[in-house]
Amino acid sequence: MTFLAPLAAALAITLPAIVALYFLRIRRPTRIVPALDLWPDQIRDRQANVPWQRLRFSWLLLLQLLVAAVLVAAAVQPALSASASLAPHTIVLIDASASMQAKDVEPSRLDEAKRQVGAMIDQLGPQDRMTLIAVQSTARIVGSGSGDHDALHRALNAIAPANGPADLSAALSLASGIVRAGEESRAYLFSDGILEPLRTSFANGLPFPIEYRRVGVSGENVGLTSLVVRAGAQSRAAYLRVHNFGQQPRSFTLEWRSDAGLIDVRSVSLAAGQAEDLALPVPDAANTVTARIEAKDNFRLDDSVTAVARAPRAFHVLLVTPGNVFLEQALRLRTDFQLDVIAPAAYRSSTSYAMTVFDRYSPSAMPDAPFVMVDPPAGSPLAGGAQVGIGRVRASDAGDPLLNNVSLQDVHIAKSQDMRASTFGRALITSLQTPLVLVRDAPFRQVLVGFDIHDSDLPLRIGFPVLMQNLSEWMLPPSVPSRSFHPDETVTIVPENGAKTVTVVRPDGSRRQLATGSIATFADTDLLGVYMVEQTVSGNTDRSWFAVNLFSDTTSQLVPVDRLALPPSKVFSTAQTNHRGLIQVWPWIALLALVLVLAEWLAFHRGL
Amino acid sequence: MAALLEPPLLRRLEALAVLVRRAVKGQMGGERRSVSRGRSPEFADFRNYTPGDDYRLIDWNAYARLDRFVLRLFVAEEELPLSLFVDLSGSMDWGRPNKAAVARRLAGAIAYVALASLDRVRLTVFAEGPTSGGAPYRGRHAAQELFARIQSFPAGGPTDYSRLVSPITRQRPGMTVVITDGLGTSPVEPAIRALHHARQEGAVLQLLAPQEISLEWTGDARLKDAETGVEREFTATPATQAAYRTALARRTDEIERAAGRHGLRFARLTSDQPIEDMVQSTLRQVGLLG
Repeated sequence: MTFLAPLAAALAITLPAIVALYFLRIRRPTRIVPALDLWPDQIRDRQANVPWQRLRFSWLLLLQLLVAAVLVAAAVQPALSASASLAPHTIVLIDASASMQAKDVEPSRLDEAKRQVGAMIDQLGPQDRMTLIAVQSTARIVGSGSGDHDALHRALNAIAPANGPADLSAALSLASGIVRAGEESRAYLFSDGILEPLRTSFANGLPFPIEYRRVGVSGENVGLTSLVVRAGAQSRAAYLRVHNFGQQPRSFTLEWRSDAGLIDVRSVSLAAGQAEDLALPVPDAANTVTARIEAKDNFRLDDSVTAVARAPRAFHVLLVTPGNVFLEQALRLRTDFQLDVIAPAAYRSSTSYAMTVFDRYSPSAMPDAPFVMVDPPAGSPLAGGAQVGIGRVRASDAGDPLLNNVSLQDVHIAKSQDMRASTFGRALITSLQTPLVLVRDAPFRQVLVGFDIHDSDLPLRIGFPVLMQNLSEWMLPPSVPSRSFHPDETVTIVPENGAKTVTVVRPDGSRRQLATGSIATFADTDLLGVYMVEQTVSGNTDRSWFAVNLFSDTTSQLVPVDRLALPPSKVFSTAQTNHRGLIQVWPWIALLALVLVLAEWLAFHRGL
Repeated sequence: MAALLEPPLLRRLEALAVLVRRAVKGQMGGERRSVSRGRSPEFADFRNYTPGDDYRLIDWNAYARLDRFVLRLFVAEEELPLSLFVDLSGSMDWGRPNKAAVARRLAGAIAYVALASLDRVRLTVFAEGPTSGGAPYRGRHAAQELFARIQSFPAGGPTDYSRLVSPITRQRPGMTVVITDGLGTSPVEPAIRALHHARQEGAVLQLLAPQEISLEWTGDARLKDAETGVEREFTATPATQAAYRTALARRTDEIERAAGRHGLRFARLTSDQPIEDMVQSTLRQVGLLG
């Protein structure tokens, strides 16, 4: 046991003082009464004066001595050693991501983590400091280096769960940044271990040891992990993926509705670990469709998903080619493209097309618009050098989003123009011999392909239509992307030409005004549901939608991680300065004193 | 010396009479309407007619002269011997208003009611022992003498009710009123029993000060008995105050029960009550006056 204020023991002088007061005799005023025999023969000495008298036993004296002794005991602030090992500066990282909303521990994983952190705050000694960091899609400090228990408790209680992922890398970088040089620190991560993979290696080690405290017990959960709407030739259909991540078979009801009303209700049964894909009808009038299950599981965020069902705005695209079925088919896969195909001789410069694809043809003047130039003829402005044989094909940057889901492993190209001297833009696909595909952002997003498609097996690969899709989406981004986004993911919104106002209405009804002049990024996507974008163009209001869903198998899996691979610490030993946390017991002792005071009051009134 | 009772109050008291439950035999005539049958030729006094009076006593000559009914009273054989025993011990010399002063006024008022009805009034004050207030008083004209006499007795000393037994038993059957606070070292019971044995139709009027009913102070004190001068240390706490109130209530109840047991009327009065309120309200309610 430790005493935080040992000097307060001097207050024990009050005990002999109380006894001394009982030794003293009271000087009492004389009162004449009509009949003394009616008055009970009871005397209480409560007022000191001379001369001395013999000390008599009194329950009041006993209780008063007890009260004084207990108050002195509370004043010295005794504290018991706690189980937690605390450094002078404790850094607490609390995972407040989506998976921490699971209710496998009551009332939720986040609340359980907050309870444990609250107990740790109570154990802080008078010289200790604590920093609280909420680990969400963006880490943030909620309580900075404070020793004030109340302030830390307030900061802790203010942490609200988010629907996004937990970015531990950012949180650790943040924590590393706040540790002063030479300061002994220790970090605790309260989490279920469902975190984004570490982006930074922290090869030099963290400036503090970090300990993982697991929160959560069960991974029983049924989730909706995907919902997409596909337009066929005649109708549209939605494809929904339902996954039972738990160890128990589950039966539940699936409710399928559009913004116009309920469409279907069906029962679904899934074995443990089973996933099922369902095809669901989409009415023509529907703008959005929603699937909801009542699985009575531990996690609600993946029980409801939404998709935008409305067909996006169409683009006019021109393909100028002497004949290229591969390009034509790849472009026609875009349902929002209205494709015109013409021979090079028929080409006239026009501004009515949003994008033009030139195949083995170069006009005299390139259009001021997005275009794709494939194998420009020799002598044209974009043409490269002499043909060269091509060996292995690879991506310039494997993480380039334009190559998402595009595999170049089995792609072979016989020959290509030598584009090494081209100043067109950066290389997207390259080889040892020459860059093969180049892209540029200015003045418009444009693509230059240095080889004839027919000299390659690329169009025979599944990656080709995907590549064309990626490139065309990059060049002609929809005003409002109709796909589903993850929570906290940034959405790019391209205002329509002449749009006076652009407003985003969030699922909770709150509105955000965006700038109209340029491409806007919207990052307030923390809520799950449908976001509506309203644009005022020529006095008319144009509405479009995008959805935010959890759609994360990692999160929905929900199984808490027992052991977490955390970066090592570059601090070797902190045993000298680390100490056990303290559990202060003086409030309980003070409470006991209050009870004794009440007892003394009762004893006095009952004339004991 | 200030007048014991104010003239307006005396005028209102004249309308009252001391009520007795059974026939009494006095030495001289009076106006006991409900009792007397005989007449004496000796004229005594005039009195205004009140409903219920025997109209045969109306003085018609006076009616002719004054145009109002006046009774012509004669000295009859019936009179009511009224004895007043007034406690003027040390415990009565206490309180605000002072209990002894109020007791003097109350005794004066009852005596005046009786004198106005031609009853015979005998006054005795007592503390450690009884002191006679002189020869019996009779007739309205004797009131001032009685008032002066009752004011001449000082208050003080202990109360010994047992010493009242002897003078009470010497009383002829009649009405006896004891005004006391009932506080003292000796019990009241022997005096009450003596009233019964002496065939007295009586009343015990217990007079207390408001300060001794509801205690106004707390804390430590040295208590001094107003009668004996004995002192004792004391701490007034809610518990000890409750114990005192219980003891006082028990004492009051004992007196009331003893009075009831011996067929006496009992009334409890506080010294802050106006005299007229005591007479017109409390004493009429217990049937002492009417």
